[in-house]
Amino acid sequence: MSDVIGANLPRRDAEDKLRGRTVFTVDAAEGGLLHAALCRSQVPAGRIVSIDLEPARRMPGVRAVVSAADAPGRYGITIADHPLFAVDQIRYLGEPIAAVAAETLEQARAAASAIVVEVEEYTPLVTMAQALADDARDLHPGWEDYDVLVEGGRRGRNIGWEATVVRGDTDAAFARDDVRIVETEFVAGRQNQAPLEPRACVAGYENGRFVIQTSTQVPWAVRNSTARLLGVREADVRVVVPPVGGGFGMKFEVSLEPFAALLARAAGRPVKLVNSRQEEMQTALCRENAEIRIRSAVTESGEIVAREAVVLMDCGAYGGEQPFLTSMTAHTLGGNYRLGAVRLVSRAVYTNTPPNGAFRACNGTYCTAALERHTDEICAAIGMDRVEFRRRNVLGDGDLGSTGQVFEGDVLAPMIDRMVALRDSAPVERADDGRLHGTATTVGTWFIFVGPSAATVNLNPDGTATLVTAGVEIGSGSTMQAIPQLVADSLGLRPEDVTVRAADTDAAGYDGGVGGGRTTVSLGAAGVAACDEVRRKVFDLAAEMLEAAPGDLVLTDGHVAVNGVPSARITLREVAERAQSVSGPISGSGSFTGIGVQPMSGCAAGHMIGALDLPVFAVHECDVAVDPDTGHVEVLAYRVVQDVGRAINPRAVRGQVQGGVVQGLGYALHEEITIDARGKVRQTGFETYRMPLSGDVVPVRLDLYEGAPSFGPLGVKGAGEVPILNVAAAVSCAVADAIGKPVSQIPLTPQRVLGLVLGRADEDVELRHIGPGWRANVIADPDELMAAAGV
Amino acid sequence: MTELFVNGEARRVHADPMTPLSGVLREELHLRGTKAACGEGFCGSCTVFVDDDAVASCLVPLGLAEGRSVRTVESLADPTGALSPLQQAMKDNDAVQCGMCFPGMLMSLTALLETNPSPERRDVHEALVGNICRCTGYERIVDAALTAARAATAAVEEDAS
Repeated sequence: MSDVIGANLPRRDAEDKLRGRTVFTVDAAEGGLLHAALCRSQVPAGRIVSIDLEPARRMPGVRAVVSAADAPGRYGITIADHPLFAVDQIRYLGEPIAAVAAETLEQARAAASAIVVEVEEYTPLVTMAQALADDARDLHPGWEDYDVLVEGGRRGRNIGWEATVVRGDTDAAFARDDVRIVETEFVAGRQNQAPLEPRACVAGYENGRFVIQTSTQVPWAVRNSTARLLGVREADVRVVVPPVGGGFGMKFEVSLEPFAALLARAAGRPVKLVNSRQEEMQTALCRENAEIRIRSAVTESGEIVAREAVVLMDCGAYGGEQPFLTSMTAHTLGGNYRLGAVRLVSRAVYTNTPPNGAFRACNGTYCTAALERHTDEICAAIGMDRVEFRRRNVLGDGDLGSTGQVFEGDVLAPMIDRMVALRDSAPVERADDGRLHGTATTVGTWFIFVGPSAATVNLNPDGTATLVTAGVEIGSGSTMQAIPQLVADSLGLRPEDVTVRAADTDAAGYDGGVGGGRTTVSLGAAGVAACDEVRRKVFDLAAEMLEAAPGDLVLTDGHVAVNGVPSARITLREVAERAQSVSGPISGSGSFTGIGVQPMSGCAAGHMIGALDLPVFAVHECDVAVDPDTGHVEVLAYRVVQDVGRAINPRAVRGQVQGGVVQGLGYALHEEITIDARGKVRQTGFETYRMPLSGDVVPVRLDLYEGAPSFGPLGVKGAGEVPILNVAAAVSCAVADAIGKPVSQIPLTPQRVLGLVLGRADEDVELRHIGPGWRANVIADPDELMAAAGV
Repeated sequence: MTELFVNGEARRVHADPMTPLSGVLREELHLRGTKAACGEGFCGSCTVFVDDDAVASCLVPLGLAEGRSVRTVESLADPTGALSPLQQAMKDNDAVQCGMCFPGMLMSLTALLETNPSPERRDVHEALVGNICRCTGYERIVDAALTAARAATAAVEEDAS
């Protein structure tokens, strides 16, 4: 092991970013670019009577106009329900109807607004309660005919996907006479990722192929979805990705790329398409709003003998990520604690609102908030200390998760002990200033979204290495720090001798994308595997040159050396040069995918992720002060103990934790996308969508927990996604502790907190559209599900 | 035709006088370090100096900048190419993530340090009240500003002694 691992390597892209030289997609300005604009629906729901594109075609500067007839396909993750342009029906305000390319942006926008769309309006179903009403209109009348891309989820009417968990005899456990039953409801708002670089792309059509430069986290998904939507071969789409100005999950699926591609082909010139900030606010693929009810049966000694939960996730007008994300309830709300029996249902619900998407620790943020509030209510009901309850009940070595997977290693319990030590090392003073003080300790379970990645490593004749992957630099620094550190460590090079090629689907093999904390694990592992092949080839050749056995050789400090004989060494450059005339250039390829941990048979239905290949844990604590006169919540201190497996670059990890916690504070306290009765997002810009500013935040005190089991390279786990996981939980629990009343809704705006303090009824959460008990909330036959699980 | 002085150089631009200055800098003068992430004056990514004031250039019509001096992020490094002390402190603190907000952050903080060479932490927070960063959680940016200020103050004191 070299000293590269665990080193705080600086970012190689920092200087250009500080000089203003970095060219993001939104900055693309090559000559001859056409500019594009979308004609978007001005109503949230209706039947399209007619579309007249002719006025746009006659406008000055216009070079191409395209619409639904040009894009025959539909896409999705589990269900292909999403056309590129609205077809027959409008399902959300802002839905694209046509696209225009013109010589200037102003001309494109003018032409897009000249398109005449006649719509027979429907009453929009903007809430899940409306969409689930018995007499609700079907948002997708033809849903049964959509292509099913992943089997297993139940669907019906406005429920785009249903995933269920059944393990053990929940009914019997709830009927025990020695248990108390605790029920908690929780409602979470919709959160906009709001990366500062909006979604943007430039597309060209060259030699019969689409060439797309785009601000994305998932070049391969863009390649494949674009091909599907346009009805062309996947091989005829090339995606390249320059530095991305933030993503946080919003750029985890195709967005503007197919529009620009169609226009480029039609116009015969490259086309740039960028969402305005107003378009980003109206159509961001937000973290979904969610509504949750949890019931648990708990003994006086604190054993959770049964748990039931219903989770409604608003997927908006099309399924997108949410059907996939229903899987995560099992591992977030169903995680953290040992459960006797468990029954869960997660439903992705269609509404006439913009489609939602992925956002850092998707589903985990609100499920953890609901679970941890519920846990505190259990502690109150049985009179047990909240930290002690958690220490006793958290999942440890050999314990079963909700879907029956067996967890490995005691991780959460020692992390709780580390948190107590962290707290005691710097106690937070409670000023006697009339404010209500509270504190909370919360635990969270998340996962590393492992999955396929490919890498190639070229050993160049000068003795340096180039790593070719489809990894994208979205700002987290993985491709600038951890990954070159891993490659450098493996090849005995300095990190500055490792070049990481920017993502290009023509150059690199398939990759699942940058998100889900997977980059350092999956791309890192593929890169290390590629290095292994390079090492073998180098050792074989160097063994001849050094007259030593390959097994005795090591790579260090840019040299191949005979282990234990410091004088017997040659430079890697000499080996690389020698290879030119002996074997040809040395390169290696490597790949990686998850290990495929399975749930217990029959326990998980409709789950794309039935069990966690690589779980990751977090313990968060915060101290708050609540002003009882205004409802303002001040976070006084914030502490994190995070399971990172192994920190390749501790300083970079700390930067991710600070940033992730602050995004979570915004989510917990003031960020919320709300939608009016006409389907319009009320927050049209950063004036009304309030994100944390520098004066709002506190420095996070962090203890990195290393050594938990991981099959990631060198035992690493991803560190960038999980920091946001239990922030809303910690803040909600701390505020409840401060005001001495249950907290059932986020964000905790001053108005909402004041309402709670004053006991105003309008702050009560009522989820009448969630039926009583689990059985009333499943489309599937409950008895069949129970029988499949052996109950 | 409008004349203005950009990073010390007289420039004549053709854009309509109502065009936002950020657009002129980016589109006509190819100074794309200045970002325009919101276009409404709330994110601060377009912050530049107009004469001695750090302003949101997306809210300044070109006509109002006529004859005035405009400084952008591209001017911060010294003529030899060395990063400014503030830029260097950002780099040394590993403050940068996606980088979109940094041009504006740097201009707001440069304005602060030019007027208040020894700021307190809350002064830095106040200087950044118009700059949104979505990645970093701000602490390292604030730390870097204070580090740069302390280094500059120490250098001045050393010269004086």
